[in-house]
Amino acid sequence: MTGGLAIADLAAGYGRRPTIEGIGLPRIASGTLVAVIGSNGAGKSTFLKSLAGLLAATGRVELDGEDLLRLPAAQRVRRLGYLPQSLPLGSVLIAYEAVLSALRAIRPDLPRAEADRRIDDVFDRLELRPLALRRLGELSGGQRQLIGLAQAIVRHPRLLLLDEPTSALDLRWQLSVLQTVRDLADREGCIALIAIHDINLALRFCDRVVVLNKGRLLSTGTPDEALDSALLRRAYGVEGRVEACSRGFRIVLADRALNDGEGRE
Amino acid sequence: MTEDTSLARRYARFVVRRIVVLAALAVALVLSFLGDAATGPSALPLVDVLNGLLNPAGLSRSAEVILWNIRLPAAAMAVVVGAALGLAGAEMQTVLNNPLASPFTLGISNAATFGASLAIVLELSLFGFDQTVMVPACAFVFAMGSILVIQALARTQGTTADTVVLFGIAMVFVMNALLWLVQFVASADALQQIVFWTMGSLARATWDKVALVALVLVVCLPLSLRHVWAMTALRGGEEHARSFGIPVERLRMLVMLRVSLLAAAAVAFVGTVGFIGLVGPHIARLALGEDHRFYLPGAALAGALVLSLASIAAKTLVPGLLLPVGIVTALVGIPLFMALILSQRRNA
Repeated sequence: MTGGLAIADLAAGYGRRPTIEGIGLPRIASGTLVAVIGSNGAGKSTFLKSLAGLLAATGRVELDGEDLLRLPAAQRVRRLGYLPQSLPLGSVLIAYEAVLSALRAIRPDLPRAEADRRIDDVFDRLELRPLALRRLGELSGGQRQLIGLAQAIVRHPRLLLLDEPTSALDLRWQLSVLQTVRDLADREGCIALIAIHDINLALRFCDRVVVLNKGRLLSTGTPDEALDSALLRRAYGVEGRVEACSRGFRIVLADRALNDGEGRE
Repeated sequence: MTEDTSLARRYARFVVRRIVVLAALAVALVLSFLGDAATGPSALPLVDVLNGLLNPAGLSRSAEVILWNIRLPAAAMAVVVGAALGLAGAEMQTVLNNPLASPFTLGISNAATFGASLAIVLELSLFGFDQTVMVPACAFVFAMGSILVIQALARTQGTTADTVVLFGIAMVFVMNALLWLVQFVASADALQQIVFWTMGSLARATWDKVALVALVLVVCLPLSLRHVWAMTALRGGEEHARSFGIPVERLRMLVMLRVSLLAAAAVAFVGTVGFIGLVGPHIARLALGEDHRFYLPGAALAGALVLSLASIAAKTLVPGLLLPVGIVTALVGIPLFMALILSQRRNA
């Protein structure tokens, strides 16, 4: 079986010394949502950027039988949708054109009717229709983040890389966005890797968890397997508990921040 | 979803409005071009201009010479130079993500002025070409050279927008210092020529020069239009554009080379004409937004229109005196630019 995503010995960084190294993930099946969590500076963004081809990386990243790191850029971008941490700039570009240009920049060959249909669909899914003809500069940070997400998913990627997709959103939109990504993965079989700080949100929506610490893989597996009190202590320097809520989801209850020398890594 | 509520249909109506704005700019440019040709010290009414355009033999010999050898080349030069500077400014502002970027802010015009001054002071005449060829040739070579140096320096730092702008600002100061040095050692006669050149003038226009600038424009515009999607995506931010697989550094380098060609060709023949590369893109941005399918042609049309109107103003502001157009573009351009910025802020 060659479908899905598998990562072996991935290393990448900004200078000569790698920021992340030795990262390997067992095969992740199509339609899986993976939460990438860890403390500030753990390497979450670097990990996603290296998969997106925005940083020089070594190792092997196999997506549906092809090594992403060795694919020509033009082919790689057709398989990926990457949402950076930064928001789209507040320019006079209108929202519809921001999404249209994101699609056309990599798919100039797409028939016009298909492009129109895809854009219509993504504006519907993210409930963005009222904003379609408004300038990015007139939109709030959260609305621009949704436009950024629309730019990523309008391309129908096989691998969706979302770096803090809910950072500028209120609670209602955080749930809505992650539900949209969940639906997308269920319906179209894409794999989504989501770097996220809100662990409870991650546990609520994601099938698997990847915990990074100081640029290395600390733990991976289902939420049940990958997260426990000891891991919270090592990854975050926090004393806390992982419990099941009344709806059956795992939730993290953080009790206190640990001081240096109390088991923090 | 019904057809009426389709976003594509709503957007199509939006696009039609933009095409109408582009058409209005084109019509205004044609009218301004005719007005420019009909304006000057000698009386040549608009009717005669139209007749002369359709049937040159119908004019008197003197009117024909005035129209075809003086007025039309100058009016056409205003259009092609304005379009070249407008297009250059628009592309530059996009790839440098800086609304103040123009051929002036990166020292391209200063380098052209230094090159022209050097040719004037040294009385350069090479390979049988006299000063009328050597002055614009030197201006062109130095303008192109300056941007190549900026590119080469910026590449050592990763060619980010900020490094290009910083090296461009340094280039402005270096070229100004060299220009002052040339002026310091120049004879009184050469100094007068340099000062006249730096003021910017359409009076030196000939059909050959118009054809050369037009050729550069005709070559560059289709190349610019090939990058419209990438440049539109870049307006959402560099990191986002990169995430779409757009090779931003390579795009920036290609655009800067194209821009330097446009700006160098424009300033080589007319001298320093300020603010067109700044005002043209701002007018286009306000009227057409930043979808580069409309923005780039809009900036070229707006640049051409503003320079053409400035050319008319240069001939009519002080009766009996033909002001250098560079003075008019600066005097009219600054208030126009301020008004645009203020109205933009009010609308926001």
